[in-house]
Amino acid sequence: MVKKLQGETFLLSANELRSGKVVFFTSKGWSSSSSEAIKIKVDEIDRYEEISIKEEKKCIIISPKFVELDDFGNIKNLRDKIRNSGITIKI
Amino acid sequence: MYKYSDIDKKIIASRVKQFENQVNRRLEGKLTEEEFKPLRLMNGLYLQLHAYMLRIAIPYGELSSKQLRKIAFIADKYDKGYGHFTTRQNIQFNWPKLLEVPEILSELSSVEMHAIQTSGNCIRNISSDHLAGLTLNEIEDPRPWCEIIRKWSTFHPEFSFLPRKFKIAVIGCAEDRAAMLVHDIGLRIIKRKNQVGFEIFVGGGQGRTPIIGKKIRDFLPKKDILNYLEAILTTYNQEGRRDNIYKARIKILVREFGIEKFRSLVEENFSKLSNKELEIDDKSIEEIFGFFRLPPLKPNTNQIPSKNNHEYQNWIKQNVIPHKIQGYSIVQISLKAPKKPPGDATSNQMIALAEISEKFSFSEIRVTHEQNLVLPHVSNEELFNLWNQLKIQNLATPNLGLITDTICCPGMDYCALATARSIPISQKISSHFNNYLKQKEIGDLKIKISGCINACGHHHVGNIGILGLDRKGQEFYQITLGGSAKEDAAIGEIVGPSFSENDLIDAIEKILDTYKKHKRDKSDDFLSVFRRIGIKEFKKDLYDNFTKKA
Amino acid sequence: MIILQKKHEHKNHYKKIKEQDFLEKNIRNGSILSISQWREAKHLVQEQKIDVAVELSSNACSLSDKDEISKAAMVQINFETFKDGRPFTFAKILRKKHNFKGELRAVGHVLPDQFVFLIRCGFDSVEIKEEDKDIWLEILEMDEGLYYQP
Repeated sequence: MVKKLQGETFLLSANELRSGKVVFFTSKGWSSSSSEAIKIKVDEIDRYEEISIKEEKKCIIISPKFVELDDFGNIKNLRDKIRNSGITIKI
Repeated sequence: MYKYSDIDKKIIASRVKQFENQVNRRLEGKLTEEEFKPLRLMNGLYLQLHAYMLRIAIPYGELSSKQLRKIAFIADKYDKGYGHFTTRQNIQFNWPKLLEVPEILSELSSVEMHAIQTSGNCIRNISSDHLAGLTLNEIEDPRPWCEIIRKWSTFHPEFSFLPRKFKIAVIGCAEDRAAMLVHDIGLRIIKRKNQVGFEIFVGGGQGRTPIIGKKIRDFLPKKDILNYLEAILTTYNQEGRRDNIYKARIKILVREFGIEKFRSLVEENFSKLSNKELEIDDKSIEEIFGFFRLPPLKPNTNQIPSKNNHEYQNWIKQNVIPHKIQGYSIVQISLKAPKKPPGDATSNQMIALAEISEKFSFSEIRVTHEQNLVLPHVSNEELFNLWNQLKIQNLATPNLGLITDTICCPGMDYCALATARSIPISQKISSHFNNYLKQKEIGDLKIKISGCINACGHHHVGNIGILGLDRKGQEFYQITLGGSAKEDAAIGEIVGPSFSENDLIDAIEKILDTYKKHKRDKSDDFLSVFRRIGIKEFKKDLYDNFTKKA
Repeated sequence: MIILQKKHEHKNHYKKIKEQDFLEKNIRNGSILSISQWREAKHLVQEQKIDVAVELSSNACSLSDKDEISKAAMVQINFETFKDGRPFTFAKILRKKHNFKGELRAVGHVLPDQFVFLIRCGFDSVEIKEEDKDIWLEILEMDEGLYYQP
């Protein structure tokens, strides 16, 4: 998961196993709100990767990934932005 | 349409139970995600960008009103009130919860539906011509054959762990309305010396390596079709690459071996491994055909009602075609209304359509691979009434086959694989060209839009193909020209550097200008002009005038 | 590890010979050989009329010489991953084209959900962890014997 990470700050995100909902790792566990998510520095990645593996084993989440933040602390790339804020079209 | 036997019902019910067992084991941690993933894919459950996605099988695009009502019910109860029709005639829900999927599958089984093998490395939905059984120049209705092949491919013990997904299409006439030539196996029903049989193509596909299928068999007697398919699948299962998912489709194998070597392997398997029990006798054929007879239509001289209403007239001209039985018409319903996501239908629309089909079309609805719907048997004298009812539901957009009738994948709004959004592009095109006369002037033109190189929007075979790319974090769109998904199948050529979202409409207008410049008469459509003048003219006009380099 | 042959647990009559112990004199009834060991020892096996098994990896079974392999008393496919569909075709061909009548066993990474498929393709048995026996039998029990293929 961490092989090709670029950038300095990240959020840990995943999908909830039972519902499929997008969730982010906060100090109080997983939340659907990215604003409460822990900001993770590059040198902390390994520690959080281990956490994500444990959480997956507990059957809470699947498909964990690190979401890159830009210099202002906002989600950087477009796909992650859409994943965070929802579809950009009206149904 | 086909009706489940008791055995069919038992098999589906058993599968629902089995999946429930698998979900429970997953939740208890007795199955890892790696182990569970192929199992849930085989039940049509994907993980996408925002949530799970459940893809429901609509075998060869055939739906009853009862089934459509159930789909609407599921959309409301378990999802967000809408579904998306796909390029393989299936329907997708974008927000199901894993916990609720066994319940959803149980609901589906009550109307003879399921989500079996709509994903995963197995044989997928058998797709077909949406006009099957309805036109005069058909050699034979392909749907019974789709049903025969569907059964054979369902829970096949040998072919459930293929190197990659496997897609089969069957058509019954010279015209290809099912993109048969870009399928892993394409079957066309033909007649040779008064005998009806199959012409067989293999190794077609799109994605990262678009290839038109190669003919492997000139003529195969009907009764041998399952044994021959087994021979092809046996070869593919053994020899297909498993080291690289981008090289694992049968098209790569056929290209690597060459069609001659591939054919000889298949013919060897066909002669040495055929199973007498897989031969289809005339009695079985007749039995299956019995499910697909026309409803009681009485030929008559009723004309299409003439009304002094432009919109209605446009709709008749564009969306309605003659049925093979005089006095009836085939009505095509566009799901590409302006401002709406292409290929989507709300639960309200589905419920209305179910009622409409019962009133006007013997409770039968079909899904096309171009993400539209069909009411197959409508009495001419009812057409104005029908149009009014469709209009209320925003299902009467008169754009079948025109520039705003795009094929469009879900793109980055929904899909974790996408590199760009596709739906907003389709909507931009839809708004910009939202004038029937303007569209009619342009004529028949298929624009197909994919949000990434996996080509789920079939951009390779669009007359104009649009491929969404990521260039340094920005969405850019590459244009291809000259593709075709019909019997004259062709892969489009890249016209040049890609365009930003803002420049894309201008680029399309420039391309249309070149086309209009060289257009000889009304019947000279875009593809004909392209084939006559070649890509150079388009390139020149497009890029010489485009000072902004992407 | 136990051997499951449909509903029944069987005694495992076969045992692998470690590579370093591979000497012809160590081959006896119930030895499991690799394909290259089998080639070397074939004459001995036929002379002494002993029951010997050959093990193939799921990766190697497609390209294997099935004629040669069909002479063994038992053939064992080691699934490197359960996602590999090649052993299913291998089993069909071994049975149908080469008329193999011996035991065909699946070992390695197989899921209980594949049991019925394995049996229908010609496998007789699987090697599984003892603690998994219940789930394998539970899933086998769910099968109602209704299939779309002969």
